[in-house]
Amino acid sequence: MSKLTLVWVQSISCNGNAHSFLNHPELFSILSHFELLYHPVLDTPYGLTELIESEIPCDILILEGSFKAEGVVKVGVEILPVIESYAKRAEHIITAGTCATFGGVFKQYDPTHITGFCFDEEERVSRYDSYASKLISLPGCPIHPKWLSYVLMMLAQGISIPLDHLHRPQELYGITVHTGCTRNEYFEWKVDTKGWGLKEGCLFYENGCQAPYTRGSCNKILWNDISSKTIVGTPCFGCTEPSFPKTALFHTKTNMGIPATMPLGVPRRAYLTATGIAKSFKIKRLEERVVEYEV
Amino acid sequence: MQIKQLIEKIEGEAELDFTLSHGRVEDVTINFGFYRGIEEILVGKHLLDALVITPRVCGICNHAHLIASVRAIEDGYQKAGVEVALSPKAKGIREFTLSCELIQNHMKWFYLTILPQLERLVGAETGENYALKASYLSSTITKALALFAGQWPHSSYAVPGGVTCDPTYVEVMQAQSLLDETIRFFEEVVIGMPFECYLARDKALHLQEIAGDFGRLLGLMEREGMGEVGQSHDRFIVFGEEIFFRSGKSMATTVSGVDVRYVEEAIQQGSYAKAVSYKQRLYEVGPLARAMVAKEPMVKSLHKYYKDSLLTRIFSRVHEVVRLLDYSKTLLQNLRLDEPSATLPTLPKLDSLEGVGVVEAARGSLIHRTRVVEGHITQYDIIVPTQWNLSHGNALERGIAIEAMVGSETIEKASFIFKSFDICSVCTTQ
Repeated sequence: MSKLTLVWVQSISCNGNAHSFLNHPELFSILSHFELLYHPVLDTPYGLTELIESEIPCDILILEGSFKAEGVVKVGVEILPVIESYAKRAEHIITAGTCATFGGVFKQYDPTHITGFCFDEEERVSRYDSYASKLISLPGCPIHPKWLSYVLMMLAQGISIPLDHLHRPQELYGITVHTGCTRNEYFEWKVDTKGWGLKEGCLFYENGCQAPYTRGSCNKILWNDISSKTIVGTPCFGCTEPSFPKTALFHTKTNMGIPATMPLGVPRRAYLTATGIAKSFKIKRLEERVVEYEV
Repeated sequence: MQIKQLIEKIEGEAELDFTLSHGRVEDVTINFGFYRGIEEILVGKHLLDALVITPRVCGICNHAHLIASVRAIEDGYQKAGVEVALSPKAKGIREFTLSCELIQNHMKWFYLTILPQLERLVGAETGENYALKASYLSSTITKALALFAGQWPHSSYAVPGGVTCDPTYVEVMQAQSLLDETIRFFEEVVIGMPFECYLARDKALHLQEIAGDFGRLLGLMEREGMGEVGQSHDRFIVFGEEIFFRSGKSMATTVSGVDVRYVEEAIQQGSYAKAVSYKQRLYEVGPLARAMVAKEPMVKSLHKYYKDSLLTRIFSRVHEVVRLLDYSKTLLQNLRLDEPSATLPTLPKLDSLEGVGVVEAARGSLIHRTRVVEGHITQYDIIVPTQWNLSHGNALERGIAIEAMVGSETIEKASFIFKSFDICSVCTTQ
């Protein structure tokens, strides 16, 4: 059986998704299942000029960056019509990263005209209907290299991928970033962190952490195979979400002292009841430092 | 004769318009495709949001943007009278993660760009998959980075007063072991000699002694006379003070002080990239500049013979990796985990602040300027290293990279010289 052909094209981007994928420790084993015909960084049989001027075979089209109808010119040519011509021929389209999926950071420069390929934040754009049948959304700023690789492997093996209403694979986005966070005990017992730079305490109450209502597997399939934002005390900024980036990212917005946004799907009343009970106990162990170094 | 040449597979793309005359490059114009407006996106946001937004300027030097933006905020607080004192631990961790990013960048440039392109240029292709080596080195060293910063690319773990992480020695041991793995690979594959031997040679190192892929590259470059081409204005500038980098400017044989206040940006006709100068003069930034300003013996001795040639420029970047790996080892050994990670638990509220953050990014000095009123950004200014090296020039002289390319016999050679500056298109047109 011949290998599926792969074409990776950029629009308005920072190159972060390309570099994130280059960090995949099994990158070339993954790529050995495909014929990579064009990539913005890796050496490929075709260059950008050939990509634009001719029709390179393309079974899987990977898109990086956000889109604008006019003004994104490469080699003297508007890139969006070129991308659409590949999208029409492709069997699968993967939007790699939040920019390509929902618009992302770069959308904010011109919110009316810059969008994702098929979505403008959560709204479908007119292109959606043409490509919906073959669209897979892999948001994340940047994309998680492993998530992309597993989806590519599934496509190579013809496995059907269950998707949600925004075309995200349920296996990767069916859980929240909160799942697997090393600070879960502190969340359960409502123990807030006492400041930046501590391994103890939850970042949800004051420090802006969006993990309980952000879809993604960051704390299940770790970053760089070893870590995640919340593990190192950085709040989750909701970078996989259509709304990324919001503002005041290091602060939790509250209503009468309660986080304004509830954990995904949890009714406010349920949250208040559960936290009221959890908070009424003082768990000494969770108030102490995990490790005491002798000075 | 005018020839248009697309330069791709750098960080983004650039278009060069060459003017050829009598079989040599006479002039070059550098153009970049589009503008993304990060500075405008930041206006109106909360001051700390810069720590999340600015790394998104660039997929390959995002961490340097984070450090520049946190320093800009810290500088603003200091100027407003709030003391910001980093613990040695926080300072060490920031230096470590920055070093990892530089190593990642330089080795990708070496294996994805320079070595394969040189082989192609001089007809000495081996057909080896160098990208495999690039990916191995990059994934190993960024894994060490992620132990402290959570992830690479696009971490936001540096906050005013320190870092968000609170590592144990378990993390430090993992980082050490990943660093050792990188060093081992470097010894066996990149330089083909023990680290200690390389470092102990100091200026007495003969290029012929270096083996491995770096040795192969140097051999090909010497054979092709690349110590004689690619020279520019031989003038260097560094603003960052960290790791073993020292700020200053180097001209002829003297190194003197610099003040970031004299850095000027100017709009260039027909380009989205702004030009940068220091007191109206153009300077080269990057590893060669850092080595010249810090009077790094090995680079200085090479410079004595070959000036700011292609050979010296390329040598400096790989040489910097050896020194960064060595320095990073010491950084990890010296970390004292009983020290605080962050020293400003809550940020004092100020009516307004204005600060400048400087960092040595992979390609040279990176400068962020922030202006904040009532907690919100009113102006943000980013000056990236590639702007220094790629400016069009002024009435008095040509831009740094243009001067280096002028006189080349072929467009292919000129393009290779261009890439020796490790071009970042996405940074340049933020």
